[in-house]
Amino acid sequence: MTVFQPPAGARDLLPLDVAQKQWIEHHLNAVFARWGYHQIVTSTLERLDMLMAGGAIDPNSVIQLQDPDDGLLGLRPELTASIARAAVTRLTGAAFPQRLYYNTNVFRREPHSRHGRQHEFHQAGVELLGAGGSMADAEILLLLSDCLTALELTGWKVVLGQADLTRSLLGSFPMGLRDRVRAAIAQLDRVALLEMEISEDQRARALALFELRGEPQAVLDKLDRFDLDAGQRQSLAGLAATIETLAASGSGTMLERLVLDLSTIETYDYYTGVVFAIVVETPTGPCVLGKGGRYDDLLGLYHPTGESRPGVGFGLCIEDLQQALQTGDRLPATTCATDWLVAPKTPAARAATHVHARQLRAENPDARVEVALEEIATSADVVSEYARRRRVQHLAWVAADGSVEVEALG
Amino acid sequence: MLTIALPKGSLLKDSIKLLQTVGLDFSAFLESGNRQLQITEPTGRAKALLVRAWDVPVYVEFGQAQLGVVGYDVLREKKSKVAQLVDLGFGSCRLSVAVKGSSSYQEPIELPAHGRVASKFVNCARDYFSNLDLPVEIVPLYGSVELGPITGMSEAIVDLVSTGRTLKENGLEEIAVLFESTARLVAHPLSYRLNSSGIAEIVEGLREATLTSAG
Repeated sequence: MTVFQPPAGARDLLPLDVAQKQWIEHHLNAVFARWGYHQIVTSTLERLDMLMAGGAIDPNSVIQLQDPDDGLLGLRPELTASIARAAVTRLTGAAFPQRLYYNTNVFRREPHSRHGRQHEFHQAGVELLGAGGSMADAEILLLLSDCLTALELTGWKVVLGQADLTRSLLGSFPMGLRDRVRAAIAQLDRVALLEMEISEDQRARALALFELRGEPQAVLDKLDRFDLDAGQRQSLAGLAATIETLAASGSGTMLERLVLDLSTIETYDYYTGVVFAIVVETPTGPCVLGKGGRYDDLLGLYHPTGESRPGVGFGLCIEDLQQALQTGDRLPATTCATDWLVAPKTPAARAATHVHARQLRAENPDARVEVALEEIATSADVVSEYARRRRVQHLAWVAADGSVEVEALG
Repeated sequence: MLTIALPKGSLLKDSIKLLQTVGLDFSAFLESGNRQLQITEPTGRAKALLVRAWDVPVYVEFGQAQLGVVGYDVLREKKSKVAQLVDLGFGSCRLSVAVKGSSSYQEPIELPAHGRVASKFVNCARDYFSNLDLPVEIVPLYGSVELGPITGMSEAIVDLVSTGRTLKENGLEEIAVLFESTARLVAHPLSYRLNSSGIAEIVEGLREATLTSAG
């Protein structure tokens, strides 16, 4: 006999998983809505070149499909590209800034050895499009803080960098070496910096950049002592303004949980301003719950005439949040109990049973009403046992004449 | 608590000696008859996991250990996503190409196209020959790689060489060096960024101890 198995990396969500996932999504969506964000739904399937245009996506990490008419397509590995595309092509008449949120599935292929690693994930996040200042950066970080507070998550931290400032500081290295210094800093490879053929002066600069992390004000002070040009001073002022806004907005939570880390940089140019990772300490080690940042050049890539608008946002991984929340008692531990079980006293009462169940549903729109079918309604004992296992609150026995006896369980 | 992954085998003694310089004592791993795989340091500040050298970067990459000691050869072969913080200086060796002493090959480029190369370092060997633009078949072996050319299964091997004695005793000759390797102090990148369990201070202590012993 053929056994039909799902592909490696696929995962089914059973009712309890779904209940927990919905609990998380419900809380996040409520926060997004409170901040004035509107939900957007984009296509699961996109053209591969569209997904890749931002330069941050490795084509090997995309699950690809060949369409005879459309060419190479991919299942979206993240939402920002799709939202940026939709915003510049479909929201042209709309007033900016646009506040958009999403809550949906994404797909990622593991290019290397990690066989059987999950392929499909669920992500919730926001994009604030058309706003380029430090107030927008602060809004995104404060919104993030509200989200994690709403989930009653403990032990989270945000590692914050400033991509354009770090990139600009790397500009002082000669062309040929710049990418190597950048890769060594991005991958925290201090040994490579020590072994690189650069002048001692340059090495000192690279090592200073490597260690530029810690409590926000201390890092800002250290940066202030760097030999910075006008543009770098401006980036630094923007970063300081964002942090000042966080400090002044009454919500101390975000500032206390912020680690400023100027070595937070990717090896590709995607983020153009703040860039951050949301991290939680779990008993099995720290885990990244999501990422975010500013991408002021992205929208221009999708605009027909290259007109760009600034953008900033973040995405949270629902599965990782669910994992991190397992330690507390906030997530539902069971699926919803059934409020009413309606059982026929005799086989002749089957029709009357459905009639009564319908009446209960009409009277209590929020109640869960299920009917005891032939398999269960064999004897009073079997029905009672079933009701107990399903945590049924009320058991209604229906006779053929329509009369009802109610047993309160619960 | 801070957890450190330590490699079984040749790097263990030096690793333990180094950690003693910052007041972390895991010498219980060296006692004969030790069967424990995980011990907590007497002062209770840290614990250590005793794992195979090839598994050190795995524990560190997944964050079960925040720090680890492992050879650069292993890091390079496994392309591990860990932070390389300090070159510890001990455990020097090199990854080399060797052939039968009686063969005519003086340089790797002279090896026959589509010939066989036996190695435990499959990725390093593949990258090296692909940079030479020489197509070869890499045969993965997990020990006594020297037997490859001796039995005639492969034309050459890519293997670690420290003194060169094993090669000599088996009639093999080293014809090229891929890279030099030493032990490295590695960290889980995220834990390092967050300075979890006071990693930074330990790393700084180990860096100073390494500089002192090198000086």
